[in-house]
Amino acid sequence: MFKEGIGESSEFSGFHPWVNLIYYVLAIGITMFSLSPWFLIATFVLSWTYSLLLRGKSVVKLNLIFTFWTLVLMALINVLFVHNGKTVFFYVRGNGITLEALIYGVSAAVMLISVIIWFTSFNVIMSSDKLIFIFGKAAPVLGLTLSMIFRYVPLLKNRFSEIRMGQACLGRGSEQGYLAKLRQFGKEVSILISWSLESSIESADSMEARGYGLRGRTSFHLYKITRRDAVLLILMLALGAIVVTGTILGKTSVWFYPVYVVHEFDLMTGVTLAAYVLLLSLPILIDIYGEVKWKRSSLAM
Amino acid sequence: METIQFSNVNFAYPMADRKALDNVSLTVNKSEFIVICGKSGCGKTTLLKHMKKNLIPYGRFEGSVTYEGDEISELDDRRNAAEIGFVQQNPDNQIVTDKVWHELAFGLESLGLSNRAIKSRVAEMASYFDIQSWFRKDVSQLSGGQKQLLNLASIMAMQPKLLVLDEPTSQLDPIAASEFLRTIYKINRDLGTTIILSEHRLEEAFTMADRVCVMDQGRVIAYDNPRTIGKVLAGAGPEDRHPMFYGLPSITKIFQAAGGEGTSPLTIREGRLWIDTRMKYAGVQPAPREAIWQNASRGGEVKEKVKNPAIHIENAWFRYDKNSGDILRGLSLDVPKGTLFCILGGNGVGKSTTLKAINGIVKLQRGKIRTDGKLAMLPQNPQALFTEISVEDELMEALHFDKRSDEEKVHDVVEMLNLMEISHLRKSHPYDLSGGEQQRLALGKVLLLDPDVILLDEATKGLDPFFKITLAGILKKLTEEGKTLFMVSHDIEFCAEFADVCAMFFDGDIVSVGTPGEFFPGNNFYTTAANRMAREYFPEAITWEEVARCVADSM
Repeated sequence: MFKEGIGESSEFSGFHPWVNLIYYVLAIGITMFSLSPWFLIATFVLSWTYSLLLRGKSVVKLNLIFTFWTLVLMALINVLFVHNGKTVFFYVRGNGITLEALIYGVSAAVMLISVIIWFTSFNVIMSSDKLIFIFGKAAPVLGLTLSMIFRYVPLLKNRFSEIRMGQACLGRGSEQGYLAKLRQFGKEVSILISWSLESSIESADSMEARGYGLRGRTSFHLYKITRRDAVLLILMLALGAIVVTGTILGKTSVWFYPVYVVHEFDLMTGVTLAAYVLLLSLPILIDIYGEVKWKRSSLAM
Repeated sequence: METIQFSNVNFAYPMADRKALDNVSLTVNKSEFIVICGKSGCGKTTLLKHMKKNLIPYGRFEGSVTYEGDEISELDDRRNAAEIGFVQQNPDNQIVTDKVWHELAFGLESLGLSNRAIKSRVAEMASYFDIQSWFRKDVSQLSGGQKQLLNLASIMAMQPKLLVLDEPTSQLDPIAASEFLRTIYKINRDLGTTIILSEHRLEEAFTMADRVCVMDQGRVIAYDNPRTIGKVLAGAGPEDRHPMFYGLPSITKIFQAAGGEGTSPLTIREGRLWIDTRMKYAGVQPAPREAIWQNASRGGEVKEKVKNPAIHIENAWFRYDKNSGDILRGLSLDVPKGTLFCILGGNGVGKSTTLKAINGIVKLQRGKIRTDGKLAMLPQNPQALFTEISVEDELMEALHFDKRSDEEKVHDVVEMLNLMEISHLRKSHPYDLSGGEQQRLALGKVLLLDPDVILLDEATKGLDPFFKITLAGILKKLTEEGKTLFMVSHDIEFCAEFADVCAMFFDGDIVSVGTPGEFFPGNNFYTTAANRMAREYFPEAITWEEVARCVADSM
């Protein structure tokens, strides 16, 4: 199960789109505003865990490359351009390379990486259907537009490969030379555009024929809120409230310059961190529970 | 009250010198099933578009078109959307959203129904059309037949009282087409929805229709029961036949041409019974036929070897993916020079892959393919070739890499325009041409490359019977010039009439080959309607003309 990743069959994915969305708003939102080392470690580790759980080993390489280069680049840039901080390692052309600048660079990089990796699992959980549903709630036209985009991407791809094939029928498409290739590509794109514009007239007719443009359009969906959605939502919001309170009280504050200072680790900091970790790991727990349940039921058969 | 009433309608497109509708008067009653037929460009589509408010074309209009007594152009928008459904030709272009369930709900969303109401309607439609198993799929994963069925279901979800369909099956293969037509018939019988359908595949549509309307040059030339309409068009004799007679189903044509009296049979069964009575009356015995267990060893004869084949395929094996099944399984084939070689077969048996393999677009895993001479291919969608803004530029573009002088090129282009019979369209935009004209333009473009072997992928798809005859004439000219044509097709009737050699493709290999005369009589199902109807008495007669002659001669 972990080789391929759970994918879209994940238990958490089966929750209502609003629940999914609010989870990611909380997870990514809080990540973006916290530079406390405890919080960074929590969000970094859990974002990686969930990403791997959902997408399996195929995503490891991509995530690693991204993590490594972001870390190196951001730490390097910060160190080279910011010379604040008390602990100087050495001087380059009269500018101090400091420990504090390095720590800031690494912290910011970890934050950015975590946000991006949260998005790799977001892509699996928030399928196009859910996005369309959520945007459709905001404005039916927006939802429909998204839906049409998702419809036209594969259509245009197919059409383009058909055009390539058609050109190959004429013995084109195997030109030598950069310019000739570019010219041929331009021709293929131009065919695609005129063909698609031509057929979009028919699509517009078909939309109008089915009453598009009448007043009071609604947006249909297949989702319904159940009790477990409500329970999870309340739990998430409660945990989120604790984390936000802790942050406002300054329990997660960090100072980088001139010296790196972390707020002392007292009880409230512990509670805030625990709430944060629990909040972030909710979908992981739910998904592992879901997998175990399936394993059991298939063993029982 | 009449569902649709055309009273003395005249219509002309702007700038056109000819009327697209010429004094048309037509009445369609409630719950009727009407089939409209005629050549491409005879005004069928214009007529149909006048029945839907938002599709009414722009131009000079006189007369009146009413729906349940109300003028269509003044119909309330909601009523127009909900009560009149319109299905177009191209399945892909009508689909708007990315999911099947969303497409089904599209019209209901427009009408502003609540989520709960939409859900029950959609559920009902999905069950009626048997869509449940692909209800949550992406529309891009559907086959052409499923897409067209989805378009129909999406319209039916609004519970229209009138359904107008403009050549809905022209882009579908025969099996999907017949399933689609049966669904329409079911809707007509189960729900009493009025159906107005324009079609080229009349064999099946005729058995469903209450009345058939034949159009020619913007006029309704006959509007009658399908059993008697043949008589109207047949006239007094072969010379007196209206050109539209040749567009009728084989059974009707045979009945009229062989001098049948009374009402015409419509189905193969009725046709067989009719021939039976005629033959009994004339005292002709059924042709002796070996029973299937007596010729168990037949069909195994070894064909003589083709000398100097234009295309030589030997033991070709191909699969797209390491883990997918084989598409070509040891295919061996020799195509003789200067022939029209047709490959028939169902969907997904590897016909198109064979074309790609010959063309070198896919590489074989095993086996070899050799073609003698220059190769070119006509793709299924002619649009994939069009880049220019006029027909003559389009042909000129084919010679882009030609090193000769401009005068010589122009000379070639003019000759090609004449050969393809599209000289009168030289200034038109390729997209303004009809399907048949586009097909001929694309063929012309391919021919300008001066190939010796031409591969044709479903060249007759969506063409009306008249264009098919024109196309067949052009193909004939080409084979006489020594060019080899290799066509993949679903169109049994076309292959039977015009092919030099036919082959049946199944499961990645050719299972039988022969001239139409050898090929079709040996088949039981995969043969022409005319042959199925008369095979008991005239097993060798394949085309409707042969059958009609045989029946008439034995009287």
